[in-house]
Amino acid sequence: MNTSVKKILIVGGGSAGWLTAGLLAADYRFDKSVQISLVESPNVKHIGVGEGTWPSMRSTLQRIGIDETDFIVKCNASFKQGSWFHNWSSSSQPNHYHHPFTAPVAAAEFDIAPYWFAHSENVEFAHAVSAQPAMIEAGLAPKQITTPAYAFVNNYGYHLDAGKFVHLLQQHAVKQLGVTHILDDVVAVQGEKNQPIRSVETARHGVIEADLFIDCSGFASLLLGQHYATKFIEQRHILFNDTALAAQVDYADPDAEIASATLATAQSNGWIWDIGLQSRRGIGYVYSSSHISDEDAERELRHYIGQQANEVEFRKIPIRPGYREKFWVHNCVGIGMAAGFIEPLEASALVMVELAAKFVSEQLPRDPFHMTITAKRFNQTFHYRWQRIMDFLKLHYVLSERNDSDYWRDNRSRETISDSLAEMLEVWRTHLPSRYDVPMAEELFPAASFQYVLLGLRHMSELKRQPVKQNNQQRAMQHFQQTAVRKQQLKAGLPGNRALLKQIHSHGMQTI
Amino acid sequence: MATIERLNNVSHKDLKVNTQRSAQLGDNVMFSLSFPSEFRSAQAYYPIVFHKDADTGQLYPVVLFGFQQQENLFLTDDKWDAGYIPLNVARQPFSIGLQDQQRVVNIDMDSPRIGNEGEPLFLEFGGHAPYLEKVSGMLETLHHGVEENKGFVDCLLEFKLVESFTLDVTLNDGSQHQLLGFYTINEDTLNGLADAQWATLRTKGYVGPIYMMLASQAKFAELVSRKNKLLNLS
Repeated sequence: MNTSVKKILIVGGGSAGWLTAGLLAADYRFDKSVQISLVESPNVKHIGVGEGTWPSMRSTLQRIGIDETDFIVKCNASFKQGSWFHNWSSSSQPNHYHHPFTAPVAAAEFDIAPYWFAHSENVEFAHAVSAQPAMIEAGLAPKQITTPAYAFVNNYGYHLDAGKFVHLLQQHAVKQLGVTHILDDVVAVQGEKNQPIRSVETARHGVIEADLFIDCSGFASLLLGQHYATKFIEQRHILFNDTALAAQVDYADPDAEIASATLATAQSNGWIWDIGLQSRRGIGYVYSSSHISDEDAERELRHYIGQQANEVEFRKIPIRPGYREKFWVHNCVGIGMAAGFIEPLEASALVMVELAAKFVSEQLPRDPFHMTITAKRFNQTFHYRWQRIMDFLKLHYVLSERNDSDYWRDNRSRETISDSLAEMLEVWRTHLPSRYDVPMAEELFPAASFQYVLLGLRHMSELKRQPVKQNNQQRAMQHFQQTAVRKQQLKAGLPGNRALLKQIHSHGMQTI
Repeated sequence: MATIERLNNVSHKDLKVNTQRSAQLGDNVMFSLSFPSEFRSAQAYYPIVFHKDADTGQLYPVVLFGFQQQENLFLTDDKWDAGYIPLNVARQPFSIGLQDQQRVVNIDMDSPRIGNEGEPLFLEFGGHAPYLEKVSGMLETLHHGVEENKGFVDCLLEFKLVESFTLDVTLNDGSQHQLLGFYTINEDTLNGLADAQWATLRTKGYVGPIYMMLASQAKFAELVSRKNKLLNLS
């Protein structure tokens, strides 16, 4: 391969930096002309967000060349099969719905959703069209010990310890893939503001030149934000959550079951994440500081945690929801929080890093003149993706009928809803989310995801009255029945999450 | 369930073991563990493939007797219709236990083989009867075989020689059956191995067992024909 980009310097060593380094180094490991270095400050603490991944992380880790057993053992990781939402629909009585990682049955043949309406009083949508939610509720693993590494019975991603994950990625990238690791502070950026960056100056390693600079410096956004002064488009008027209060909670019993999905429980002014790792749970309240005080938020979080709340420390993390106007400027591309950050509902942070790193790697300019074109395309693609995430997250709030605070009422007022989401909502009064709502080739959220949320929150009074074309009535019934049968079979055959993780610790996973 | 006891010539003095072969005695098994040094005898009668242990996921070689759970097509009314019975079957109801790092013989007291009929285990004054001597030998061989399996499987996995396979069988009555959950050796990968890898296989003594596994695939036809014969009977 011949690229005009020979030297790549990644600035920042959090999960964004090391994921990007690992991916690039793995992709170019046979191309000695491409050199990858990562400079990170020895003084910067990682934020450690993103304890949840999408299933895409499996192929990303495989591509980087990390052994799944190694990953699970070293990163305190567990299996995530989706998100399980509690009390989002109303605050008066318990209610929940699932957004599993498995598409509805028959998704490849036809849209089964309209046929579910007739049964909607007896079975929740996600339960009717997928066996996975029942496995999640039973705390079962997505595979067996006989299932090869990275393969699955039910699709899955991970819950992981972000700090340990960064360490594993770093070890692998440096030792196996030959990434040059420089521990130093970047003190200056050299180059005109309207020109490509020539080099960065470090405190002890002097000047480091590169052809492409990847800004993974997090909130600081050293290159993209500070050097190029790329405008930050704040989104707080749409997604209000600007603060997270996080805690690590030990299991009351070390053999306690490990939840197989991220639990997202709506609160008076935000929601609480609950992520089960092997040795502890990560729990946090994401809320809008203009709607609730830190003290009241902490009180709600303590109430959620229960007795153990007395033993834990709370860490406050500010969130500035939004993203840059551009992500790729001249020879500088921002990945991770340097590019943008939105609250962790639906855990989109790491997948955005994966997608950005893959884009950079696969489209690495081979001709100096291509840099501008690639940058333009990258910016278009990722703008679209950020907007889609915004709309999809907002959907969870807009469809809620909670009326217990201004927070929820404000979330439904028209001026806090983007035009694109408002348009979709208008269409979805009479049409189910379909492929017409997700026109791009590589959409973050397929139509099925929109269906899971829309129908999970039972936003369907008009939809239900639409005439159903009966073409697939019989096949739909068969699929519903098969799903019920499959649930029984899987329940009999799948181990608990904890049990499987123990087996993996003892025996490792098979390669075939 | 099994009640495992360490065999001794006091409490088990008068025990006898029924060595006949039948479903009632627990011989109705679909497959059983094997090991490279047994392949030569086993491949003359049975397909030898790999299977995964349900508790550990580890691969180990097995000899196949049938196409579904509890089906042993070699069991006839009064005997096991093959010239060789794999050691892991023949050893029943005995197994190896560990006591103070020494290997000892254990017996499953719940086995239907145990009773007043069959082969005595001990001589009048407590010495081992010939049958027990034979069983001890089998257990010893089996123990070394299981040890041998780990290196064999690890090496084959390292060389990416193991692949899963699905066997589709159509019987004479038109019924279709599928054999899933077993693994075999990928011949193309084997043929494409580098010289150094071949040298490793040769040094470790794996070349013979590999080809015996491949040759044993011919015995699938034997299984199918036995299954078809059962159709004619019913």
